[in-house]
Amino acid sequence: MLLFRSEETVDSWCRANGVPRRPLIDLDQLWYMAVTWYGNRLTVESRRPGPDEMVQIFAAIGLEGPFWDPQADQWRSST
Amino acid sequence: MDFDTSVKLKIYETIAETAQAPAAPEVAQALGAPLSDVLAAFNRLHQKRLLVPEPGDPARIRMASPFSGVETPFRVLALGKSYYANCAWDAFGVPAALHADAVIEASDGFSGEPIRLEVKDGAPLPQECISHFAVPAARWWEDILYT
Repeated sequence: MLLFRSEETVDSWCRANGVPRRPLIDLDQLWYMAVTWYGNRLTVESRRPGPDEMVQIFAAIGLEGPFWDPQADQWRSST
Repeated sequence: MDFDTSVKLKIYETIAETAQAPAAPEVAQALGAPLSDVLAAFNRLHQKRLLVPEPGDPARIRMASPFSGVETPFRVLALGKSYYANCAWDAFGVPAALHADAVIEASDGFSGEPIRLEVKDGAPLPQECISHFAVPAARWWEDILYT
């Protein structure tokens, strides 16, 4: 999960690495994911979200579909 | 509190205070526990995807997300210390976990151009910057060091 200054440099990175372009996340979405995932990481209650919780967290910021589903079969053996 | 939780909290407490990931002997000494018990807890925390040991050395920590046990291209300045994060997501994860303002020193993944992000009062300041997720969620842990 890398940072880029523009979509142009994302596309250049994808070409250089021979991988398809995948979802782009803006800083507000990234911050939401960080707070949801790590906001209580230093506490006793901390735990990693389960698969269904992950799907809900991503959907809350508009990230939906199999790419964001940790149980999606279509991604398990091919890219 | 169970032993694994005690180990996990000691790891995070140490990182938060020192910006350095402790090795298993340091955790064992701090908890007054046998090293073998701490190593077993490291392994269980790894199975729960809460910790990634250094490849080839189960006593050392590579990742206790969002923190990195080694230097990375994602440097996070917070609470007067210099932390390292594992990726773009974790770079924001450090101030989220610490509940602190932060400055993130990173770079464009292709051009290498420096990127400076700031989190202030619980939110990121606007910046011309995006993150690209190259790996689908179902495959994040196939090679978490790459993800």
